[in-house]
Amino acid sequence: MAFRKRNTALTRAPPSSSPTDPSSPTTNPPPTAEPAPSIPGVRPSPIDGRPTTSTGTFSLDSVLAGHAGLPLGTSMLIGEHGTTDYAGALLRFYAAEGVVQGHKVHVVGMPEAWGRELPGIAEDRGDKKREEAKERMKIAYRYERLGQFGAERERGALYIHANGTDDGEKTAVFCHTFDLLRRLELPVGSAVNYIPIPRTTSSPFAAILQNLQRQLASSPSDTIHRLVIPSLLSPALYPPQSSHPSSLLQFLHGLRALLRAYSTRLTALITLPLTLYPRNTGLVRWAEVLSDGVFELSPFAHSHLESLATSAGATKDEEKPQGMFAVHKLPIFHEKGGGGSGAEGLGEDMAFTVSRRKFIIAKFSLPPLEGDTEAQAEAGRDASGSAMPRKQDLEF
Amino acid sequence: MPPSSRIPPLLQPHVCLPRDDSILLLTSTLGASANWLITRFLGDALNLKSGADGGSEGAGRIEDGEGCNVLLVSWMREYEFWKQDCRKGVGVDLERGRREGRVVFVDGLSSLFLEEENPENNARTAVPVENAPAVRSVQSLPARGPAPGRMGGLPARGPPAAPTTTSPTTIRSGTTAPTSTSHNAGCYSLKSPNLAHLKTTITTALTHLTSASPARKTLLVIDNPDILLATNPALTHTSITSLLLSLHARPDVAHMLIHLQADTPLLGIHTPPQPLEVAQRNLLVKLAHMSRRVIGVRVLDTGVARDVSGVLRVTENDIGFAGLKAHGRGEDGGEGKRREMLYKVNGDGSVKVFERGAGGEG
Repeated sequence: MAFRKRNTALTRAPPSSSPTDPSSPTTNPPPTAEPAPSIPGVRPSPIDGRPTTSTGTFSLDSVLAGHAGLPLGTSMLIGEHGTTDYAGALLRFYAAEGVVQGHKVHVVGMPEAWGRELPGIAEDRGDKKREEAKERMKIAYRYERLGQFGAERERGALYIHANGTDDGEKTAVFCHTFDLLRRLELPVGSAVNYIPIPRTTSSPFAAILQNLQRQLASSPSDTIHRLVIPSLLSPALYPPQSSHPSSLLQFLHGLRALLRAYSTRLTALITLPLTLYPRNTGLVRWAEVLSDGVFELSPFAHSHLESLATSAGATKDEEKPQGMFAVHKLPIFHEKGGGGSGAEGLGEDMAFTVSRRKFIIAKFSLPPLEGDTEAQAEAGRDASGSAMPRKQDLEF
Repeated sequence: MPPSSRIPPLLQPHVCLPRDDSILLLTSTLGASANWLITRFLGDALNLKSGADGGSEGAGRIEDGEGCNVLLVSWMREYEFWKQDCRKGVGVDLERGRREGRVVFVDGLSSLFLEEENPENNARTAVPVENAPAVRSVQSLPARGPAPGRMGGLPARGPPAAPTTTSPTTIRSGTTAPTSTSHNAGCYSLKSPNLAHLKTTITTALTHLTSASPARKTLLVIDNPDILLATNPALTHTSITSLLLSLHARPDVAHMLIHLQADTPLLGIHTPPQPLEVAQRNLLVKLAHMSRRVIGVRVLDTGVARDVSGVLRVTENDIGFAGLKAHGRGEDGGEGKRREMLYKVNGDGSVKVFERGAGGEG
């Protein structure tokens, strides 16, 4: 009897509330959720209600200290070792998510071809993810399930409405799944602003900052902007004097000021080639201090032989990590002193795996393969001995 | 909850301002920010504590027992952040302090390297830096007269409340326009990394404080002045330290709290060090020698722990730079000289400080 009563209340309440805030992941802060529905791709953080937006990578969103998204007004600096471009995948997802959500995307130093090659939304929307969603749903709506069997289908719809991570037709999707092999169809209007790097003898950054500032000032106040800076300071793109502390750090400081001034409208994602600019130099450290989030990608050395050997054995090879993912600083979290809830995985060794559809960041675990000694040694070196290999999947 | 109880007991003696005027140095690293510690200092200084309670040092520090005025100069963080952090962390309302003329904020972030888009503002910033502060101080003088009367009213509250609302454009024009000093009392902004400009701005801000509450002395909090050194190659660490010393020598400045970055890569451990690193190291070492107390926060050497945010190390320097005069050495005994503790910042802004091995549960 009690179940039945509770049940009817539950099924009735959400449909009435869902049209007003479809993107709200939590039900408790209605006042903070109020401004969110008007802007697609923005939702309040479950921790403190500040507006966040998706990085376009579900698993990166999950790393961000429980905010489940990149808080607006913050920046992230992703450094990558070696000659690979895994961080570029993150940038593309971030930009593509922006385009899909109707945000204004600013790309520094890249030709229009870059924008044309943004990954498209994966058409098949991942049965696995849906399964997971159902799995979580089971817990949340357990009581309802007990009470009423017929509500099965409706409950699924409810979940979609309430959470917004699934692909409901009309409801807002916070984070899309992109397919690196597909191409995103850019809207007719100029969704992407390509900011050229000027060939000047002085700092090239002043012009970039001015361009961005002009765009921000001239756009309506509900437009969300995303700044994408691929391979900052890469000699292929930037003139040599740009790596001078005065030009780079002034730029980053100015960008920080801009982010804070437009703290509800702008986010930035920057990648930096760490092989050219190592982390133990003062310049890079200052750049990290000036950024809100700092991540480091250390890809494993790729070996053809090894991939052949393992692919013969098992189907696991697509889940084999491609490198280590280190978190050095998280937006908001570290600014407040570095503590509190939300950063459970912070101390763990994280590894990333890039596949066609996803960029997965998960706890690193050594697979028990005998032919894999090389990778083990590599991982051991990267993890600096503190690794506690554990078979634990961190798929969110 | 009384503000003093928000400061953990173990930390209390180290957050208390010393009896006589001194320079205190805070250092932080990438993963361990010292913002929470600065807000503890702000909380302690602004706290209307009667002279009776508190530590032995806290008792006699200010004659009227009313705490200090605070002048906060920040190059890395905006006012909004400090306001929220102070409220959540130590329960101190910076906004009220600003209205009462006890708190002045100098914004070194918003327009230091960001030029105004507005053409009329452009014209203003284009004025040579030597002239601009003079204009400013003249402007702000008449504003200070009526200020106490209207500070309780809405105009003083209006602009700072704006950042939480939806229109950022108004914030920008509100906080960065030079005229804002008149209607946005207690907020100044730096427009150039020039030291002369910094000095005039701080001096103006100090006179604003002393005119509002002349009885109290001022705690000068300088957050990340090293960013000036890093971004402006024309500056040297000597010019910064001499500026800081000359500010400290002012009669209305009692204490100075300086926050610097002390990451190992910034200090140039490898050879050959970059000029940037040399400058940072020189500034840090110099200030550390000048300081009465050095408090450093860093991350755990052993990795990240769930119940520990970082390590706090306090070094008291009794000799002092200024006078070699005997400070009361017995006051906190030998054990307070060098101390290392762990801390944990909770999600709600509260902080737990504990000895190594004492456990940080709860």
